[in-house]
Amino acid sequence: MGSFDLSEIFYNVDSGYLEGLIRGFKNGILRQEDYRHLTQCDTLEDLKLHLQGTDYGNFLANEPSPLTVSVIDDKLREKLVAEFEYIRNHSYKELGVFLDFIKYSYMIDNIILLITGTLHQRQLSELLTKCHPLGTFDQMETVTIATNTADLYNAILVDSPLAPFFKECISEEDLNEMNIEIIRNTLYKAYLEAFYDWCKEKGGATADVMCEILAFEADRRSIIITINSFGTELTKEDRAKLYPRRGKLYPDGLIELARADDYETVKRIAEYYADYRPLFDGTGNGPGDKTLEDKFFEHEVTLNVNSFMQQFQYGVFYSYVKLKEQECRNVIWIAECIAQRHRAKIESYIPIM
Amino acid sequence: MSAEAIFPPASSVASCLRPKTRVYSSLQEQSLIGIDLHETVKWLLNISNFTMGSLYRSEEMCLAQLYLQSEAAFACVSELGELGLVQFRDLNPNVNAFLRKFVHDVRRCDEMERKLRFLERELNKDNIPVDDDGDVPLAPLPREMIELEGKFEKLESDMKEVNGNQEALRKNFLELSELKQILKKTQGFFEEATMYQTEHTGFAPELEEDSSRAGDLSRGPFTKLGFVAGVILREKMLAFERVLWRACRGNVFLRHAEMEVPLVDPYTGDKVNKCVFIIFFQGDQLKNRVKKICEGFRATLYPCPESPQERREIAVGVTTRLEDLQTVLNQTEDHRRIVLSQVAHNIRVWFIKVRKIKAIYDTLNLFNVNIAEKCLIAECWCPVADLEKIQGALRHATETSGSSVPSILQVMKSDESPPTYNRTNAFTYGFETLIDAFGVANYREVNPTPFTIISFPFLFAVMFGDLGHGFLMLMFSLYMLYYQRYFLRNKTDNEIWEMMFGGRYLILLMGLFSMYTGFLYNECFSISVNVFGSAWNVSADPGWDTEYLKSQTSLMVDPGKPGVFRGSTLPYPNSTGNPYPYGIDPIWQLASNKITFLNSYKMKGAVILGFVQMMFGLILALNNHLYFKNYLSLFCEWIPQIIFLLCVIGYLVILIFYKWAVWSAADSSQAPSLLIGLINMFMFTAPSQTADTVVFSGQAGLQQGLQIFIVLLAVFCIPWMLFTKPVIIYYRNKQKQATAGYGEVHTSVNGISDRADILAHDELNINHESELDSSSESEKHEEEEFEMGQFMIIQVIHTIEYCLSCISHTASYLRLWALSLAHSELSQVLWTMVMSIGLKEPGALGVVMSFLLFWVFSSLTVGILLIMEGLSAFLHALRLHWVEFQSKFYKGEGYMFSPFSFHVIVEGKSEE
Repeated sequence: MGSFDLSEIFYNVDSGYLEGLIRGFKNGILRQEDYRHLTQCDTLEDLKLHLQGTDYGNFLANEPSPLTVSVIDDKLREKLVAEFEYIRNHSYKELGVFLDFIKYSYMIDNIILLITGTLHQRQLSELLTKCHPLGTFDQMETVTIATNTADLYNAILVDSPLAPFFKECISEEDLNEMNIEIIRNTLYKAYLEAFYDWCKEKGGATADVMCEILAFEADRRSIIITINSFGTELTKEDRAKLYPRRGKLYPDGLIELARADDYETVKRIAEYYADYRPLFDGTGNGPGDKTLEDKFFEHEVTLNVNSFMQQFQYGVFYSYVKLKEQECRNVIWIAECIAQRHRAKIESYIPIM
Repeated sequence: MSAEAIFPPASSVASCLRPKTRVYSSLQEQSLIGIDLHETVKWLLNISNFTMGSLYRSEEMCLAQLYLQSEAAFACVSELGELGLVQFRDLNPNVNAFLRKFVHDVRRCDEMERKLRFLERELNKDNIPVDDDGDVPLAPLPREMIELEGKFEKLESDMKEVNGNQEALRKNFLELSELKQILKKTQGFFEEATMYQTEHTGFAPELEEDSSRAGDLSRGPFTKLGFVAGVILREKMLAFERVLWRACRGNVFLRHAEMEVPLVDPYTGDKVNKCVFIIFFQGDQLKNRVKKICEGFRATLYPCPESPQERREIAVGVTTRLEDLQTVLNQTEDHRRIVLSQVAHNIRVWFIKVRKIKAIYDTLNLFNVNIAEKCLIAECWCPVADLEKIQGALRHATETSGSSVPSILQVMKSDESPPTYNRTNAFTYGFETLIDAFGVANYREVNPTPFTIISFPFLFAVMFGDLGHGFLMLMFSLYMLYYQRYFLRNKTDNEIWEMMFGGRYLILLMGLFSMYTGFLYNECFSISVNVFGSAWNVSADPGWDTEYLKSQTSLMVDPGKPGVFRGSTLPYPNSTGNPYPYGIDPIWQLASNKITFLNSYKMKGAVILGFVQMMFGLILALNNHLYFKNYLSLFCEWIPQIIFLLCVIGYLVILIFYKWAVWSAADSSQAPSLLIGLINMFMFTAPSQTADTVVFSGQAGLQQGLQIFIVLLAVFCIPWMLFTKPVIIYYRNKQKQATAGYGEVHTSVNGISDRADILAHDELNINHESELDSSSESEKHEEEEFEMGQFMIIQVIHTIEYCLSCISHTASYLRLWALSLAHSELSQVLWTMVMSIGLKEPGALGVVMSFLLFWVFSSLTVGILLIMEGLSAFLHALRLHWVEFQSKFYKGEGYMFSPFSFHVIVEGKSEE
């Protein structure tokens, strides 16, 4: 696996400590058994008690009762952010760039959130609490003044790290709902492509691991965009422009996808690809069936867990963040189910490992 | 190490100063070993009525069942926690943490702890020290808990209210002071603008004339300028300026100035640096945009009138309001302090109380609840010797809680191996830790700790022997001991220090013993001290007059000549013609063959010490076999083992002593070579004068006979060790199988009746088990058959290991010599290469150099010799104990007794 690469010799000098740390963090990720205990909880207090026995430790100890789901959410996120920031602050050269790439996706989400929020006349302060702390940057809060994309780019984002991804979506059109979705997807596309290319150039085990994960991410976006676009105003040409061109579907699959008109076609296209065929099998909206989205999440988790099988590569950092995010989603899902006394669906979290 | 080097034949040593010294050195060696021998013999004699209590064997333990009345349970556990002699077992291991009975109370404690932590944080914020009077309160009763809860609740809400008020006030204060700054700074901007305009356009007066339109400045008839003023965080200024420029396409004019005084953030209380800015722009659209950007950067905008008079008026108003606010703020601060000082007085006690309650409830969660009889059932391990104390505690607790039914403690039988409990004190604790680090002793197994107390520092000192270094080490340990009260109270997080402090008594003994061996080696910072006067007399040789002595750089002193050795005429107390009475004669310091001489002496010492310690280990093993009545192992393993060791190494040790005793300094050139003799003995080569292997002179035939007998005996021991035990077990097993049938059923019935005691409350379980027993009987036999093969393999491994280890462990003890050599060589190098350079230099330069070099010398002595060499000698001594000594008798597969004790919990070291 992986060609001989000189940089791997010095990997431990630059990032060995951080990799060790992240692998340690990864061992603290909740296991199947923990989830089993969590799903048995009757109240959020029980949940807190059980989480105390895991690596989360006393992260909720200083919260007054009664607990709410949003407090748990905040604290979970706070912990992840603290870990990430620690790693980022100690990272060196290339790893720093890599970690920044991870942050960019959160920045994109934050910008889109703020713009959509302003369109709907929400208060800035209210919106800010919903932003992911990993994706904050100086100019973020001023995006609300922009009325069209050119403005957005020229006035605000040109100084931000997102500027290079923005080139493709500059237009004089006013911002509206449709427009924003397109900006989001174009930004994401540019971001994924840039990230993919960077990893490829980095080479070695990092490229092996990250290209696999990012290719899946790109394909997932393409498929989801296609499925979601049915019955909307989005034209097929516009849609084709949004597909990130780095996945396994590129180029043939994407051409086919661009022509697709219904879900069945998408499914047929996916069946040509060994990786994606099982994901479409057995999905449905019936009770007991898993949604396509969940299947995608499961596959993502598998890829991310596999990335820990290789050493001397940056993929573990990306994978850890993603796994931890999935874990937060799981815990919040279980917490919501408990809080709303809706136990029927409590089992539909995505187990990790 | 080559054979020559270990026991150099006398003829090969040729050097200038060459006393034939083997006999002479034997005296000191004996005295060096004497202490160890003496000590060990003393231990051996005392083994039967050993007085060191449970340190020799771990405390006798028993499994007990407690029936506690529900109302008395809390008080009982509290008493037992104070006592710290009982280890509870978890009786509901399959129950989730949040499904247990007292989880609600545990949660209440958590909540109280949270409140206390909140108060503690507030104390830290204000830097109020917590009162610590060292008083540890008893665990409060459950009803007191409600009172405490109420108290904390009130304090927390009080505190939060005060904080809220303070925050609001501070925010107000911040806003006002920001406004004040703006008014002050903008004054400058406006003045500048005025000057600029006067110079360039002459329209200056209009700035002020047009003041009726608030917030707008008009300049000339066509342009109308608006402005906003505000405050922004200093680090955001750059990005702010840039975005402003971009978003407004350069159509705004921004001026900013830094505030000199940092302001206090009302929420966090941190100091923050801020900038005042003022932005001029044109038109309403731009105004909105600028305002949005300001909002985006969280800049606070303040209304700022344009006319200087109004500004001045506002400024005056602001100043007075600021003063008022300051007084109010001070009052709030005082109030806060009063509340907090009350908290600071009590918080430590509260913490302890809450932790104790929590620990009690956590323990109660381990118990079985019997709802019908309203009692809690607990199982625990406790020392048999302390049963009285525990009963007393239970009685006392039942009385205080006012329960009518007494709590019952019932001792049970158990097949499980009990935990190991060694009572230690401050002195023995460090040594016990050393042994436990290797493995906790099996229940009631001989514990090497009491012997380690002496043998460990002694073996360390054999390697570290130096009077000066030992003295420094002693001083360090005395320092720790003198201030130990202080150190015990003020714990640090420094692990290295904690480790050294934990072993302070160990270091004390190591220092003392190092001084002792250093004195024997006659080395003090590698320098010999002439205490009693050397036994050598150079002037005894008639040919050596003063002239001759002066002309020679080196001399060969021959002890064979009369008067040279034991003939000193100098006016020392030792001029009677005896050898140097204690330790190495200081004359060796001058000899060029000092190392060769010491090597021979120290190597033999190492072998003897090793043999003695290993023998002692075997004797402890004998003690174990006798105690556990394991006669099979005693006769089939222990006896051949000790014969083997005696034959192989014991004989060598006897020869060493014999050689020291028989050959004197004068005739040492004819002394036999022990090593070659030993090799020849195993090769059945007859001892001969030519090979220097005849020890018992004139009786070579007898010697050969003896040696052949010894070797054959040793060889005979090998099959003895290897086969007898497995064969006996095999036949015993066969017999059992032959008589199987009723007998087997009988034993299993016994087994049940044993268990019945333990599980009296669960009869279903017993029936179930007996069924299981009968069905698995036939399988059991097959299992035992199968185990025989495995048993044989294990026995083979053990036998081979033992036989090889007799040789390799003895060789391993040579590290005593190697490290001792390294230590003395290193300290000598340090002396000759560093310190003596300065001392040799004459005159003023010598004074300066000595002064400077002393610091180099002393820091290297501490850094290399004391710390590094000390650590290495420590590690080797540890290894000798763990591997060479303990492998003879110590299993170390037990588990530690960890009683439920408030003492540990209160310190906050282990929670739950």
